[in-house]
Amino acid sequence: MGYYDLDDILADSAEIPCKFLHDIPGLGYLENNPGGTIHVNTQLKLPLWLARVLAIIDASSASDDVGNADIFNTEQQFTPFLNMLTPETFTNKVINAIKTDPISLDLHSINPYFYALAIKWIELFSDKDLAEIVSDLLLQRSQVINAHANSTTISYNNNSNSTSSTGNNNTTNNNHALFTLTLDEFEKKIYKEANDSYKDIKKWIYQY
Amino acid sequence: MYGDLANKLIIEAKRTEQLTQKYLDAALNSDNGGIRNDFNGNETIIPMYNDELIYNILKEVNQLKQNTEYLQHIKQEEEETKDQLKDVLSGHSNDKIRKCQYFVNLLCLERNKRCLMAYQRMRSDIIDKMVWNGLIGSNNMYNNGSKRSGYNELSHYEQEYMSQYKNLIDEMNSESELWSSIEIMGNMNPPSDIFIDIRVLKDIGEIQTEYGTFNFVKDSQFYVRQSDVERLIQQGYVQKI
Repeated sequence: MGYYDLDDILADSAEIPCKFLHDIPGLGYLENNPGGTIHVNTQLKLPLWLARVLAIIDASSASDDVGNADIFNTEQQFTPFLNMLTPETFTNKVINAIKTDPISLDLHSINPYFYALAIKWIELFSDKDLAEIVSDLLLQRSQVINAHANSTTISYNNNSNSTSSTGNNNTTNNNHALFTLTLDEFEKKIYKEANDSYKDIKKWIYQY
Repeated sequence: MYGDLANKLIIEAKRTEQLTQKYLDAALNSDNGGIRNDFNGNETIIPMYNDELIYNILKEVNQLKQNTEYLQHIKQEEEETKDQLKDVLSGHSNDKIRKCQYFVNLLCLERNKRCLMAYQRMRSDIIDKMVWNGLIGSNNMYNNGSKRSGYNELSHYEQEYMSQYKNLIDEMNSESELWSSIEIMGNMNPPSDIFIDIRVLKDIGEIQTEYGTFNFVKDSQFYVRQSDVERLIQQGYVQKI
């Protein structure tokens, strides 16, 4: 999760639907209208790295004139430049799909950085419900990932021991390939690591 | 939209990282002195430095810088008029607008910076690994313009970085008392046999070893001690069979 982390950078580029709360002239290039004005209640998709900050900084310029900041100003509600709306990744449709069948879900097609984005989203909105759903999702899926990682190792070992009998393993390998396609980037990392450790253990056992 | 180019760069970087990881895994798993000799010339460990995209991103950064300067200029002017007119109300809404414009600009700049730095970091990480794994051979390898070395794919600054990094390791190896007795650049895998069969890929000439003199002519085969020819394997002059 460092500054140079490519995955984190890519997760940050996820597009979030946003609603502007102010008229802002000169920002029309955000909606392909250079030089134009963005009007109140305009909805457009902005990448998370842009939307996040605009949604948490206060638009009322209190810094300049603290002197004449009256009671109204301090009592006024905190108004950011824009509001972030729920992105497609976390719409009810997806959440329901997660609840019904977490295992056969094609997470990669929903968002290749599902977990990274979920963590950011939960952090921003302190969304406990989503946090529970996502951690449960990971728990359920990691068991399947583990099983897959283990069984590929066995077929891998068979292949290397007897190169002649590769025909039968093709179907199982195909299944695994299909399965890994449905994983998001974080799960792929888990899968690879699990697979590598199983391989290492096998290697260590068979060397004697 | 600002930041789109940088995104493209990061997607490319991600692909590179995955491919390199695969390659390095394969190299480390083979017992061939950490080197794959069946590596064909078309593959490269590190893809070409993306001059064009980087240049375009820098152009975008310059544009953003100009925008920022312009905004600052406007703000100053507004403040002057505000003092004169004491028009606090209009000043309020203008401030808000300027603040938003300024922030969008700033965030785009930050984003571009992060993407550029991450790209460079990814590449320098690969270069480090290449140096440590001996994928970059001795100096005359560069002059041969060998495709395998990946040296031609580096930008000028990266080439400089690489040679200095290499010097640093060499220095550490030769000067420090602790390390001088250990060959830190050596292969981490224990050798399975002391003696190995090798095939000569390029004419080298006579080589003196403890076990006599060998005349390494192209396409000839020898049974030699692995530690004697380790360096030659890394440089790609001979191949382990």
